[in-house]
Amino acid sequence: MNEGMYGEPISAGARGNQRATDELEVKFDKGIDLGQLRALLGQARERAGAPVERVLTLNLVAIHFSQLSWNKAVAALEAASTVHPARIVALIADPKSEVNGVTARVSVKRPKGAPFYIERIILTATGTAVRHLESAMIGLLVPEVPVVIVWGGRAEGDLLNHAVEQADRLILDSGSRAVEGLRHVAHLASRGAPVGDLAWARIFPWQSLAADVLDIPNLREHRDKIKAVRITTAGAPGAEALLLAGWFQSRIKRARVALAQQPIPAPVEPAPLRAEPATGEALPVTEGVLQGAVVEVQFEAPPVEFVIRREKNGILEAQVLGDDDGEVVHRTRLPPESPGRVLLLELKMLHGIDEIYAAALEAAARFAVLRGGQT
Amino acid sequence: MPYLPEHDEIPNPLRPGLRAAAAPEPCAVVVFGASGDLAHRKLMPAFYNLALGAHLPGAFGVVGVSITPFNDDTFRTEMREAVGKHSRMKPIDEETWADFSSGLRYVTGGFDDPGTYARLKEKLEDLDKVRATRGNRLFYFATPPSTFPMLLRGLKAAGLIYPPDGPNFSRVVIEKPFGHDLRSARDLNTLVHDVLDERQVFRIDHYLGKETVQNLLVLRFANSIWEPLWNNKYVDHVQITAGEELGVEQRGKYYEEAGILRDMIQNHVLQLVSLTGMEVPAAFDADSVRDEKVKVLRAIQHITGPDGVRDSVVLGQYGPGSVAGMDVAGYQQEQFVGMGSRTPTFVALKLEIKNWRWFGVPFYVRSGKRLPKRATEIAVHFKQLPHNLFGESGAQRNVLVIRVQPEEGIALRFSAKVPGERYRPRTVSMDFRYGQAFGLASPEAYERLLLDAMRGDQTLFTRTDEVEAAWKLVDGILKVTEAQDGPTPCPYPAGTWGPSESDELLAQSGHTWRRL
Repeated sequence: MNEGMYGEPISAGARGNQRATDELEVKFDKGIDLGQLRALLGQARERAGAPVERVLTLNLVAIHFSQLSWNKAVAALEAASTVHPARIVALIADPKSEVNGVTARVSVKRPKGAPFYIERIILTATGTAVRHLESAMIGLLVPEVPVVIVWGGRAEGDLLNHAVEQADRLILDSGSRAVEGLRHVAHLASRGAPVGDLAWARIFPWQSLAADVLDIPNLREHRDKIKAVRITTAGAPGAEALLLAGWFQSRIKRARVALAQQPIPAPVEPAPLRAEPATGEALPVTEGVLQGAVVEVQFEAPPVEFVIRREKNGILEAQVLGDDDGEVVHRTRLPPESPGRVLLLELKMLHGIDEIYAAALEAAARFAVLRGGQT
Repeated sequence: MPYLPEHDEIPNPLRPGLRAAAAPEPCAVVVFGASGDLAHRKLMPAFYNLALGAHLPGAFGVVGVSITPFNDDTFRTEMREAVGKHSRMKPIDEETWADFSSGLRYVTGGFDDPGTYARLKEKLEDLDKVRATRGNRLFYFATPPSTFPMLLRGLKAAGLIYPPDGPNFSRVVIEKPFGHDLRSARDLNTLVHDVLDERQVFRIDHYLGKETVQNLLVLRFANSIWEPLWNNKYVDHVQITAGEELGVEQRGKYYEEAGILRDMIQNHVLQLVSLTGMEVPAAFDADSVRDEKVKVLRAIQHITGPDGVRDSVVLGQYGPGSVAGMDVAGYQQEQFVGMGSRTPTFVALKLEIKNWRWFGVPFYVRSGKRLPKRATEIAVHFKQLPHNLFGESGAQRNVLVIRVQPEEGIALRFSAKVPGERYRPRTVSMDFRYGQAFGLASPEAYERLLLDAMRGDQTLFTRTDEVEAAWKLVDGILKVTEAQDGPTPCPYPAGTWGPSESDELLAQSGHTWRRL
């Protein structure tokens, strides 16, 4: 087979282009011809030298509403698919465009050192062609393996509702949106949607350390005596802080949970309310902290008080006051940030409802409403 | 007076639903034999990898103890080199190493010197202050078994062993071999129990730290399709193979004393037998799982007397041959091995488990050195169909293979129709490979086991009664094979699957070894 034939994609109406060395492209003016897309995928597999027998354990569907949003998310998705050999189907919808059409880009590649290949299909739809994306996505899913949809938009709308119906899990990032958006997510979860949240995954180290402290034998006596919790943030609290507060409230219902702010220490990263969602991108942990990030958690179980504080060099340190006065009882290192880290934490659960998150989210949404009232 | 719950009975309100496993409590690990091979190649890289994966408690430290004269700094330098060389995660992450190594300490001294334990105590108390390790201790004996008595006595005399129910823990990890025979194993257990409660003893068998061995439990007890078939109604026989390409290398002296029965069967292979044969435990906790494992060991028909050994045991010893395209020497030409040695390097056994589930299902096990390839697997051979609709070519048995190493995974052999031809079945294999289905690299067995020991989870550690039950089985065979007039191992050329007598052992029942 000569190079021309080899790289020539099957096109419908428009001649296909070979994009990057590992990517094949085809344009559709009207509907999306899945047969042609599958043939293109076959070519991509052949180009990559992928064996006919392949192992795919996950459908990872990413839905975005701008190329920029997708560009920010792609590294995290690819990192996740090196752990879960996946077919990545990315849908990028731009319904406001005056041009109607769909561009499909297909690639198959082998992550460095991995014994498997990942397949990536990116469908970019503009104008009225957007309506075909949902049915095309269904046709491209690998049967019998979980479908996880990573949602890169606001947590509302019909497309989201349809996505929820298709997904074993739907993962979004409430940390990339205004905290008021937690209400929409809570509404979704209250309807039984299997929602996951990258903002939730970011607070795992705080949760783990708080739980670990109460597992220390001579501190276990305080487990049922927690009366008050205070979450302190750098500036106004972000979704992560509200979820942490909601978690404490839902786990210890009798406790008085409060949010407090402290002045933003320098150096400070830019505000977290990004114009575009950075799905899968973890908040950077640096010497300084993000605006809205948690800097300290205190919980009182009289006569003792537990304090978990973010120290320098990414260390969380837990102290107990009033019992073993001021003694450091536990420390943990915040894991080094890498693309896809928090997404992988969420992908530890591939189907079903995270009841603990749902309860925390419901409480967090109430905190968000209260704070909205204050402002 | 109203009932007041004990503190341990009050549930941790923050623990439910957390996706990360509970971190071990703050603790200091003491490695006796810290300048040795095990510490360099396995233990320290495992601790570092755990630190890198954020699995260790932040309040953590390691104290190395050995006769080699290091100080804290030179020990750190030595360990960094070991980690750089042997960790599966390369290159070293500087930030993690800086944090981890600041918790490393070293004590020079002999294990018979009370001063060693006094200095160790000081170091540990210092770690408690500086690293908040809170008085919790995990002692790791990476030393020859002959040192265990003095280590246990030294620790006890120095007040470093706490009562098992106190607020702080002290635990001891012991490396195999757990004795040389049943009697010495009992002596060792008596000694251990003079100093420690069984809850404080962690007898490590690194096979149990392997992902695929643990997956055997998941395969059996997290799937509904296997358990109904996992019995003598549907299983014809089971074959367990643990083969190595390697010879005894520089371990001739050890091997001359141990032989294959002590080196592999008493521990690793019987663990695989008990995990394959055990009943569903009442709960997934250490004692429930180990209760069921030990029941299997106790239900195995003991092989005793020359007749029993003749009928159910084949011993072999490798001679010169070719392995993986290279000429290799025979066992008797190995370093520290004498001409005329009767030490077996291969064994094939036919085991019968006398219980309701397995009565009449032979468990064939074979293990050897200088076999054609390194392969450890469990193969469950299901019964033939009562009647074959498709003629003789469709008469192949279904086989479920659990591959422990290499290419960890599970394969199911079944019949499928050859395309285009009229109902001609052919055997095909459905293959699951860990490396392909999960992109995550499996942790080293020691990582999992060290973490479990820090957490106090004994599920993957061997209990006293398991050790003794396994020795009882092996002892019966050793009494015959190591007797003056015992059988001479059958020779087999290196690079083959053992002596032909091993094939004959199965042929008596119409079975053949799987070709691996």
